[in-house]
Amino acid sequence: MKADWVLRVDGLGKRYGRGCSACIQNTGPEQGTNSCSNCGSIVACANVSFDLLPGETLGIVGESGSGKSTALRCLFMDEESTWGNAYLAGFHNGERDIFSAKLPERREIRAAQMGLAYQNPAMGLNLLITAGGNIAERLLNVRVRSVAEIRERASYLLTRTEVPRDRMDDIPAHFSGGMQQRVQLAKVMANSPSVLLLDELTTGLDVSVQAGVLDLVRELQEQLGIAMVVVSHDLGVIRLLAGRTMVMKDGRVVESGLTDQVLEDPHHPYSQLLVASMT
Amino acid sequence: MSSVQELVAENVSPGHGAYNFGFLDETTKREVRRALLKAVALPGHQIPFGSREMPVARGWGTGGIQVTLSILGPDDTVKVIDQGADEGVNAWNIRRLITDTSGVPTTTDSREASIIQTRHRIPEVPLREGEVLVFQVPMPEPLRMVEPSERKTRAMHAQADYSRAWVHLYEDVVRRGEISHATGYPVMVAGRYLLSPSPIPRWDIPKLNMSEGIYLFGAGREKRVYAIPPHTEVVPIDFEDHPFYVESFAGRKCQKCGSEDVYMNEVILDDGRHAFTCSDSGFCDSRTEGAGE
Repeated sequence: MKADWVLRVDGLGKRYGRGCSACIQNTGPEQGTNSCSNCGSIVACANVSFDLLPGETLGIVGESGSGKSTALRCLFMDEESTWGNAYLAGFHNGERDIFSAKLPERREIRAAQMGLAYQNPAMGLNLLITAGGNIAERLLNVRVRSVAEIRERASYLLTRTEVPRDRMDDIPAHFSGGMQQRVQLAKVMANSPSVLLLDELTTGLDVSVQAGVLDLVRELQEQLGIAMVVVSHDLGVIRLLAGRTMVMKDGRVVESGLTDQVLEDPHHPYSQLLVASMT
Repeated sequence: MSSVQELVAENVSPGHGAYNFGFLDETTKREVRRALLKAVALPGHQIPFGSREMPVARGWGTGGIQVTLSILGPDDTVKVIDQGADEGVNAWNIRRLITDTSGVPTTTDSREASIIQTRHRIPEVPLREGEVLVFQVPMPEPLRMVEPSERKTRAMHAQADYSRAWVHLYEDVVRRGEISHATGYPVMVAGRYLLSPSPIPRWDIPKLNMSEGIYLFGAGREKRVYAIPPHTEVVPIDFEDHPFYVESFAGRKCQKCGSEDVYMNEVILDDGRHAFTCSDSGFCDSRTEGAGE
């Protein structure tokens, strides 16, 4: 079977706390909370399912605490998910759940097939080793063993992300926030992952830098055809980048569809509120 | 109820004072040997052991001493080296501790020894089959320079995740134009574990590969032992375009024995000139004796 998707997510969920059998019923947008009234556990997200097609960008939008970042971190296996499965076309032809992968296999998936750019570049970068060294780490992970090859690739990526070539051997601790973010992008792209996960990529950047980073991501979409999941609470970002959008609230997906459709004709009251507050 | 003297007397080996053979009690030796067996079975993997208080301060070779004393038998001949020399204070004291508590003979000739305890050098003469070289190890963890957390370095070893050790080398090349590790150059053992060979010079690294003898490493303060068994592949980590290389003594000659192609110490003479002598004093002595001087 050759999958027509690159990433399939089925019933993904994450619960913090000891949990009980009523957690799912007691939480969600109808209850207006993600905290279980019976046991006090937090259901950060639940029943998140989607297929990501090759070259497609899926937006996930929602307020703070709606579970969008948690879902992304579970997908990248930074966090252990409580429920659900996920399949990558590049991992056993999409026939094996990546959450069932052993630790070395997980490392391989994270190193070669997926990339997660964090909202805070300090999480995705080691700020005290050079920009080139940060990119080298991803390449060394997949056993590139030539300094010249690493430097050539790092130089190409940094050029693509508009980091001046002569800053390659400087440490990102000395860079501005926007530049750190661009180095992080260069790093996660180093191995040409099949799926790129972007978590609040432009939050905290000033508007002109935001525009630069967004332009860059659009270029990458068009030229490299990398499939992406973009998490943001900024509908402007979602409108610009995502073809399809899911709206999350209290840990659940309340609406999903083509981005234009969701933004022009929102059905769920929360989506309506979100769109209304944008203008 | 028996007195301390009576208890000690039961365990005394004749002629060596009030100590058990080789200072350590037999259960301790058995525990260390068990850790060593595990270390040999998993080449390059660090095995925890219950490091004991020794009559030497931690950091002065207590790991190596415990390994040596645990494998020592009455038929062994021991050599102790400190930075290549048999005459160092550390070597003298360790040798005295071993002989005073076991009575085994010692030698300075590595070819006559069955167990060699060493700090920071491997003898010039290759080990023969059955010969054991025991290293004193200050820092057993090769990943400590890139990861301070023990929990994380263990996970990295478990998953053979050594990319950050390579990043460290890459940074070195970028900053200094070459890999700057002068001592303790990290090596891959049997294609599986990254190992710190203790602070031996690069010169000695190739001797670790496919050796006839056995290499045992003891870190007393860090409570770890590890091993490189005979005929094990040991490869220093490097880049295709920045390969590992050893120190060059091209054109140098030992002032005492005339040897070339050995690891040498540089000494400054009274008249300010620089001269070179063998770092391995036992080897140097055997060469001068052989020449009939």
